Amino acid sequence: MALKHQGIHRLGYVRLALADPRLLRARAFYCEQFGLLESRRGPGRLYLRCWHEPFAYSLVLEESTDNRLVEIGFQVRDDADLARLAGLVERTGVAVERSDAGAELESLGTSIAFTIPGGPLLRLYADMAQPGYVTGYDSPDWVTPRPLRGTPAPFFLNHVGFTAPDPQAAVTFLRQVLGFVVSERIDSADGTLLSALLFRMSKEVGGQELAVFPGPAGRLHHIAFTKEDPNDILLAGMYLREAGADIDRYGPTRQPYGKTFSLHCFDPFGARLELCAGGRVTEVHSEFEPVVWDEAQLGKALSWYDRDLQTAFLEPSLG
Amino acid sequence: MAVSRIGYVSLFVTDLTAARRHYVEVVGLCETDRDAGGRLYLQAADNQDHHCLILTAAPHAGIDHVAFKVGEVQDLAEAQAAVQARGVTVRQVPAGDVLGAGAAIAFSLPSGQEMRLLHHLDKIGYATGMRNPNPVPPRGKPGARSTHLDHLLLAGERPADTAQFLIDVLDFNLSEQVVAPDGSVIAAFTTCGHTMHDLAIAPGPNGHLHHIAFGLESRSDVIGAVDIMKEAGTKMMEYGPTRHGVSGVTTIYFFDPAGNRNEVYNGAYQAGGVPGLIPPIVWQAQEFPRGAFYYESVVPESFFAEVT
Repeated sequence: MALKHQGIHRLGYVRLALADPRLLRARAFYCEQFGLLESRRGPGRLYLRCWHEPFAYSLVLEESTDNRLVEIGFQVRDDADLARLAGLVERTGVAVERSDAGAELESLGTSIAFTIPGGPLLRLYADMAQPGYVTGYDSPDWVTPRPLRGTPAPFFLNHVGFTAPDPQAAVTFLRQVLGFVVSERIDSADGTLLSALLFRMSKEVGGQELAVFPGPAGRLHHIAFTKEDPNDILLAGMYLREAGADIDRYGPTRQPYGKTFSLHCFDPFGARLELCAGGRVTEVHSEFEPVVWDEAQLGKALSWYDRDLQTAFLEPSLG
Repeated sequence: MAVSRIGYVSLFVTDLTAARRHYVEVVGLCETDRDAGGRLYLQAADNQDHHCLILTAAPHAGIDHVAFKVGEVQDLAEAQAAVQARGVTVRQVPAGDVLGAGAAIAFSLPSGQEMRLLHHLDKIGYATGMRNPNPVPPRGKPGARSTHLDHLLLAGERPADTAQFLIDVLDFNLSEQVVAPDGSVIAAFTTCGHTMHDLAIAPGPNGHLHHIAFGLESRSDVIGAVDIMKEAGTKMMEYGPTRHGVSGVTTIYFFDPAGNRNEVYNGAYQAGGVPGLIPPIVWQAQEFPRGAFYYESVVPESFFAEVT
């Protein structure tokens, strides 16, 4: 057997349901104010991506009567990974639903979907169409495209946070069945797990594709997007404020939990969004050691500058 | 599993004291160990392993070897079989050959440099600790705010051969490349994860090093690093701070006292993670000056001539 990266290898997309007929308000916010690109409009759906992403979408919004997190998509290497992981998931007693290419979402290959314990629906797939980098493949200018300037225009989807009634059960499943690695965790005073950041991608910096917070099963906590550095976060904050966006009370801050420089705001439907730069140096390695936070240090963990614990920050968002 | 990340680079320097001062007081690394043979071990603030750089006194500058890590112990045997199947001789390196390192396998890349693969490096933790850590460097730490050793660029007479070896044998992915009018590969940027490059290869004499690069958290930190270098009298490249057209990051090149080229940079980039998923960016040779130095769009002769 050759040396080969296998299994989940990247965070693909987040799918939200929004109570927004024809998705006009959503489109106005995400495309005109937040700086995402519209990839395509399907029946009742809006497919969006960041300008540095070659794949068809990283955010799917769909018309609904309520606001909620529908699912989180992860890409695996090939169909053999899909079959292997489906088997591992089913062995834990969790039901797996299989979908043919294009049946569930446009531009998506064969997929499997399952609900992790106390958490959201995850969908795994090996193939997603690639419209390609908008800056092209031939000696490109890696510069934010002109129409997006003056907006946050993030580079990539970075991570997704969700709530679970038993964070430990969700983390155990993600580690043991899907191969995620914990980069950081918060232990409560009685020793139980309060929250964790998990990753599967080997990035320069950044140890989270999923973040688990205590709360109701499978609710959205936040969606984070990558910016180049803290200077860009400050600029993005100005653009968002100018556009009237609801910015979280922490404001732009250094977030020791994850070691990012971050700004949180809300979309018009209440989804908490994060722009982040940096992150911890991590490694998908059997000896990798997580950072551990004590619950008593939660204020410092969430904002190096503010230090006061805002319990509202721990609440789920959207719906 | 697979190759997980760059572990460390072992360099030759002509004056160990001067080199230590440079890597600690300018680059911003910490000395973590020193062995009986006089080798010096250093690490950046945000890496939890024993070292990312080894310095050995020698009559000349250059690269001793580069070590990449694999994710699982059993990956070493798989890697050995894959390298040998390519017809390349593999040497066993016992644990402890360098301080803090477990058993490794060693072999020559097509461009002549020694590459090692190992699973274990001792853990020393992040510089600010593993429990409730502060997010900023320890107070009083001198030098630039380097977070980690990010990548290295090797010289080779046939860059395509080394890139292809990494892709075929070690499951690396090609993110960007520079191509001559006849279609041949001039330079290649390869990654074992989602970074833009962990190991790049450009034209030059086999067995040589072009540069090693450290990551910074912000473009302001790049400017701050240049300010520190100017004060320290560090030898710099004629351009910079500048931006690479390739990868689009903000960067500065400079040299250690022995003449090994260094880089510090900041930028965000996400490659495919597995080979072939995202087609590589192709830089035409005539566009390479813009690819190397985006603002100046001129490549000085010394850029490829000076290797160690």
